[in-house]
Amino acid sequence: MLILFQILFTMFVLFAIVNVIKRKQEGLLGPKGLFFWLIFWLLAIVAVLWPNSTTILANYLGIGRGTDFVIYVALVIIFYLLFKLHIKLESVGRDITKVVRREAVGEGVRNKE
Amino acid sequence: MFVAVVPAYNEEKTIGSVVQSLFAHVDKVIVVDDCSCDNTYKQALTSGAIVLQHKINRGQGAALQTGHDYALQIGADYVLHFDGDNQFCVEDIKPALKKLKDSGVDILFGSRFLDNRTQLPWFKKYILFPVAKIFNKICGVDLEDTHNGFRILNKKALEQITIEQDRMAHATEIPAKAKKLGLQYVEFPVKVVYHKFGQGLGGGFKVARDLVFGKFVK
Repeated sequence: MLILFQILFTMFVLFAIVNVIKRKQEGLLGPKGLFFWLIFWLLAIVAVLWPNSTTILANYLGIGRGTDFVIYVALVIIFYLLFKLHIKLESVGRDITKVVRREAVGEGVRNKE
Repeated sequence: MFVAVVPAYNEEKTIGSVVQSLFAHVDKVIVVDDCSCDNTYKQALTSGAIVLQHKINRGQGAALQTGHDYALQIGADYVLHFDGDNQFCVEDIKPALKKLKDSGVDILFGSRFLDNRTQLPWFKKYILFPVAKIFNKICGVDLEDTHNGFRILNKKALEQITIEQDRMAHATEIPAKAKKLGLQYVEFPVKVVYHKFGQGLGGGFKVARDLVFGKFVK
């Protein structure tokens, strides 16, 4: 029998998958992103509906408990996403600089004329 | 034409006197106001400088590159980097330019460590600079005083080097790129007068962070 958490989590995952598909349709997510997030949410739902599945994987990798395995994987993913986000922010910052610079130099040239 | 580029952020008290003192040593002064909250823009304009204004604060490295772009447009042969907070001495400019020309190099970097005119704060002298020097060596920069804002670049260096580090890490980026591009450079003793402490340990960490993350930005 499903416990309340499993029902709520399944509903949340369905909501998340619908959102991922919407983002893809809007062109905000590429094929790689779509693949990553679909696999991510499907694995999450497998781990929640069949908790023993994570223990099997954990034992295979030499980790004691399935929960520990999930936490380790989650931490790695979170740090990776934070890194990617930081790089993206830096890149957007540099693009902003180019626009700000173009305006500043253009205004300087116009003032000179 | 010898042009001074002065990046300025909230320097209303000093920018006017810095600009006026520069006119005796360079042909034109470009102040890049990095979206100051005070009257830096008006003060610089009143003192006779060409003033370029960033509508959003982007950092010292970004301001210097904006100055480079404009300097190249007006036909600059040499560009001097000079701080707007009155910490450099204009008397160092002419001998520095002469040294650059006589040596036949592309860039001159000012250094506080080649003579004993600069009184460095203890923490900077014995903690911050030795650590920074090791870090800069790792980045391939072998200068005595990398984080010194006094520099002179010739036209070749201006055209070849694009400063991409918007904040303070440009001080490591410029000599690293010069080395990579095969540009010749020399160090020259300049005096720095400390009116405020400047970059501390936190600033050093930010520079290191920017350099590391900057490697991954396309």
